[in-house]
Amino acid sequence: MKKIVSLLLSLAMVLSMCSFASADSLAGTYDIKVWVANEIVDLTKKQIENFNATNDLGIVFNATIEAQGEGDAATAMVTDVDAGGDIYCFAQDQFARLIQAGALAKLGQGAAKTVQEGCDADAVKAVTTSDGTMWAYPLTADNGYFMYYDKTVIPEEDIDSLEKIIADCEAAGKNINFEMQTSAWYLASFFFGTGCVSVWKTDEAGKFTSVTDTFNSDKGLIAVKGMKKLLDSPVHVSSSEIAGFANNAAVVVSGTWASADAKNMLGDNLGVADLPSFEVDGQEYHLGSFFGFKLMGVKPQSDPVKAAALHRLAQYLTGTQCSLERHAERGWGPADLAAKADESVANDPILKAVYEQKNYGVVQDAIHGSWWDTAKVIGDGVKAAATEDDLKAVLQKYEDDIAALFTLDTSALLFVGAWNGWNNADTADTYYLKDGALTLDVPESDYMGGRIVAPGSWDTDKGFAQVTTGAELIKDLGAENPDNNIVFAEAGNYTLTWDGTAITIVRN
Amino acid sequence: MKQYSDLEFLRLSRGQKFLYRLLRFLIAIPVGIGRFFAKIWQGIIAGAKALGREIKDIAGTFAHGDWKTRTSFLVMGFGNLARGQILRGLLFLLFEIVFIGYMALTGGYWLSMLPSLGLEGPSETYNEILDTYTTAYHDNSFKILLYGVLTIFFIIAFIYTWRQNVKQNRIAERILASGKKLKSGKEDLRSVVDDQFHKTLLALPLTGILIFTVLPIVFMVLVAFTNYDGAHDGYANNLFTWVGLKNFNTMLSWSSGGGSQSYAATFGEILTWTLIWAFFATFTNYFLGMFVAMAINKKGIRLKKLWRTVLVLTIAIPQFISLLYVSKMFAKDGILNGFLLSMGWIQQALPFWEDPTWARITVIVINIWIGIPYLMLITTGILMNIPADLYESSRIDGANAWQQYTKITLPYMLFVTGPYLLTSFTSNMNNFNVIYLLTGGAPTNPAASSAAGSVGYTDLLITWLFKITTGAESQYYLASVVGILVFVVVALISLVVYNLLPSIKNEEDFR
Amino acid sequence: MSENTAKRHMGLRASRALSNTLIHVLLVVMSVVWLIPFVCILLQSFRVESTWQVGYVIPQKWGFDNYVNLWNTDFPRWYMNTLITALVTAVLQTVIVLCMSYTLSRFRFKMRQPLMRFMLILGMFPGMLSMIILYRVLKDLGLTQANAVPGLILVYVASSGMGYYVSKGFFDTIPMSLDEAARVDGATRSQVLYKIILPLAKPIVIYTILTAFMGPWGDFVFARYISFGASAGKNVAVGLYDWLSKDQINKSYTLFCAGGVLVALPVTLLFLFLQKYYVEGVTGGAVKG
Repeated sequence: MKKIVSLLLSLAMVLSMCSFASADSLAGTYDIKVWVANEIVDLTKKQIENFNATNDLGIVFNATIEAQGEGDAATAMVTDVDAGGDIYCFAQDQFARLIQAGALAKLGQGAAKTVQEGCDADAVKAVTTSDGTMWAYPLTADNGYFMYYDKTVIPEEDIDSLEKIIADCEAAGKNINFEMQTSAWYLASFFFGTGCVSVWKTDEAGKFTSVTDTFNSDKGLIAVKGMKKLLDSPVHVSSSEIAGFANNAAVVVSGTWASADAKNMLGDNLGVADLPSFEVDGQEYHLGSFFGFKLMGVKPQSDPVKAAALHRLAQYLTGTQCSLERHAERGWGPADLAAKADESVANDPILKAVYEQKNYGVVQDAIHGSWWDTAKVIGDGVKAAATEDDLKAVLQKYEDDIAALFTLDTSALLFVGAWNGWNNADTADTYYLKDGALTLDVPESDYMGGRIVAPGSWDTDKGFAQVTTGAELIKDLGAENPDNNIVFAEAGNYTLTWDGTAITIVRN
Repeated sequence: MKQYSDLEFLRLSRGQKFLYRLLRFLIAIPVGIGRFFAKIWQGIIAGAKALGREIKDIAGTFAHGDWKTRTSFLVMGFGNLARGQILRGLLFLLFEIVFIGYMALTGGYWLSMLPSLGLEGPSETYNEILDTYTTAYHDNSFKILLYGVLTIFFIIAFIYTWRQNVKQNRIAERILASGKKLKSGKEDLRSVVDDQFHKTLLALPLTGILIFTVLPIVFMVLVAFTNYDGAHDGYANNLFTWVGLKNFNTMLSWSSGGGSQSYAATFGEILTWTLIWAFFATFTNYFLGMFVAMAINKKGIRLKKLWRTVLVLTIAIPQFISLLYVSKMFAKDGILNGFLLSMGWIQQALPFWEDPTWARITVIVINIWIGIPYLMLITTGILMNIPADLYESSRIDGANAWQQYTKITLPYMLFVTGPYLLTSFTSNMNNFNVIYLLTGGAPTNPAASSAAGSVGYTDLLITWLFKITTGAESQYYLASVVGILVFVVVALISLVVYNLLPSIKNEEDFR
Repeated sequence: MSENTAKRHMGLRASRALSNTLIHVLLVVMSVVWLIPFVCILLQSFRVESTWQVGYVIPQKWGFDNYVNLWNTDFPRWYMNTLITALVTAVLQTVIVLCMSYTLSRFRFKMRQPLMRFMLILGMFPGMLSMIILYRVLKDLGLTQANAVPGLILVYVASSGMGYYVSKGFFDTIPMSLDEAARVDGATRSQVLYKIILPLAKPIVIYTILTAFMGPWGDFVFARYISFGASAGKNVAVGLYDWLSKDQINKSYTLFCAGGVLVALPVTLLFLFLQKYYVEGVTGGAVKG
């Protein structure tokens, strides 16, 4: 009897799976929330209606579309993932943060393949973590900055030189708007211009593991010298608002999103170009820039059917047709290769400037969320600096801050105990685990015990109970060891290794 | 230190008087703090004694009570019902049923999860047929903490009600023994609008305060002992859990993790500016507002009502409109700079928001613009209360306007508005709107900026706290620590000043 | 009158005239400074030649376009949300505050002192973090996002008991002997409140209604939290504030000004109309003379 029941059950399961597998199993009406930038709310509404009308799977979305700027999407999502948009757009810099917050669902294999084949190679990289998992759909490939300028103030032949532009503006009493003091995104321009890099590595969970950062170097010093020229000019305004043109600016460094407003403000006098070069010690450096993507993500769902349907919609919205519509209506540069190759996109002068500047740009990769705050203060530091030593100090401070992002993490752990007098603020770094390992002499004493802690804390989660190898070298005190200490049986020279979950002890 | 009598004090020279007062003030600070802790200790002892009395009383009630009373220990309200107080009895019984039902259905779960704040985080599965990933959500640390605390509130309320229930039996027994009659339901109802009227009036407001003010504050304090942040939101990614005093260690430790400034140093810098700001924001407004009030009140000034109305407009118009606009006016490419440049009065745009010192002065000045109208209103009324004959007689004695001000007006004002000055000082410390709308904390303070978000020169502790929660890592636990520290600072200041102010020693003025 | 005193009087009169003139000048200057931002906002709201921020104040082309365009946005919805919130809050909050302040002013009961001290201490906690918790509580009640209005009302009203100081100060000035006389005549406590105290407390009642009504118009932090991304649940402050965000400001700056004028209008009119009571409330209650 039992067997029959289980047979029937498994049969039912197989059947239900079959019905899942057929395409029309996705058919149904879904209430969803979609978050997109204000300017494409209406367009997206139309596009979703189109999807409802044309998809052959019987999917109908009953979508509430809300305006949510791509720059703040992560801040909003992290506040309450549960109530956030089922589909939402965000700028690339928030990628890691959103994965960590559990606000992005992985792409299935089919979807991943479509993105892989249909999108700009850099864009594909932008949505993939180091283990090859894809987490989002590339929406645009135009998230970079370049120069809008007033042709009546700056003659065509001067636009390649920062010094000439500054001179022209000073002569005309016009401002140069380049957001140097409040944005790391713009500020990095000078560093990338001299060949500095800041490359961050993450593990598969989106956690940052290391950084290669060369801002504090000879090249970096050249960059800040160039930056100082601009910052010291009385006509410099730290802003990227295109409305600067209505407030006495002749140059605004901004991105494609401002193109419609820029045209409105300057009309025929509007010029668009890649960023200029600056000169330090007789050598020219073309300003670099960040180049990034806007992405569309799907929030993790509990219901697999709804999840599958949402991924279909995201694919549609980032597909060729929708990308072209967004370009036609709003001038957004598509990440979709077919759309990018379309004549209307290829001949767009503004996108031309974007791609021209991209040659000098750095494609934005995952960057630690704190980097933006850490790096943006360079601007104020450089402005306040009086001497070259001051400039060096600014860069040194930056490097220390970057390093601190990691030392605050697990890499700097302290083996605190009888051997250092239970000093958990030890600064001599004799008892730090470097790359997770430490070799030390345990001196003879009544209680040769201690545990691994983060500096300044008294955690009890890395001690006796975590020892997997070498348990015979330490005492098991049972209930007399409430703090989970590792108590050595004998004095001697030991090597400790901590791999994040377990401790290995070897006697040397 | 020697204490002078009034006579001796009057003989001192002006400098000596000042020094004496200052010393008295400084001595009062530790004394005040000491007194505070002594009071707390006394409170604890008194509480312990009271608890002992209660337990004795309960035991006594049980030992001497009849069967009705004893049954009430288990079935609340039984005694009331048995003795004919139907309304009271039913209410007690109903409360017990609700309580037991709640504890059995959900309360027990929340309470049992409270020590761990959840055991199972979300899990991801891959559905091969649909080629899609799904996430199943399990425990929710946030809800566990929230409802756990609420359940504890509820248990306390239950214990209190149970105690009342026991007490009423004892009282009823005594009344019946003395041959009197118990209160009927009708009389109970009448007392609700008469001799127990204060309880009726307070019931609703206090319930609201309990759930919407006390509960959040308790929760906030508890968050400081957890690792609740953007990456441990307790539901969608990782559960959060208790971490003990770790966050306080981080915030109060002077050793920095690497090159950046330690949290303690950053906190110190922001606190210093917060105090400077609160001082200037309070006193500039106070004196200028008083001055304007006096100017308008002066004999011979026409259109008094018009001037007042114009100034008062700033109160009526929501700050987010006026301050946002003013903030843009003062921008480097704003209207004000544009005007000054075009008039040729300045050669370069003034760095109102770019330079730390400029920015700090500008926010204080703009705050005057907001604050004067309030102060003008408040002081106008008080100035009119000063007896006119005081001025009259001083004028006959040949006092000039300045002397009248320093000898009559100011002392009177300070005496009357002492408590107001204190509250306005502490509320200026927490003046989120003005700073957030005007500068957002800018310009950035490179040295103080650390992993907890960018800190600016005009940031107050309260805006810093806000930035921490909305920063890249959403470190709610750190924000919570800052919140607790803000409380400690405000409480200390209030404590000291309360002990010094003459005009609020009187209970009736205690506000 | 001797010649000397006559001279002195003339001198006094002259100096008083001089100082009065100076004060008049000062008041005129102050009024101008105080009004400039509002006049600017008003002027900008009539500018139709462009929608972004400009460096001049007087529009080149005037018109009502911005006000007309407001109808094509969610602004009317936000306005209604705020108006409803403000009206309901004004009524309920006044009831709560009066209950609280009247009780604490008139009754002497055992827990009175501890209660007041407890609330004083509660008030020293920065409320900023409470938002996160209140948001979750309201979310569980289904009162967030598009349903934010009842949620906001609930929170505003529920926590308003804390703000009893001003009206308590006012009640303290009404002599206790009135109550006692009525009690002797056989009135219950509640009758004393309705028949004797409330009629006398008209200024403070109006003051409380007015402040409660004004509050919701300016809340842009908490209201944003509660509406969480749903346009239908925003109030005017959140909606208008969002129009100044980076990606919208150039399209919506003049709209912001027009919306601002419409927000300021009812509050200002009401305020001017009831100014007398506001002043009485502030001076009578905020600082006890």
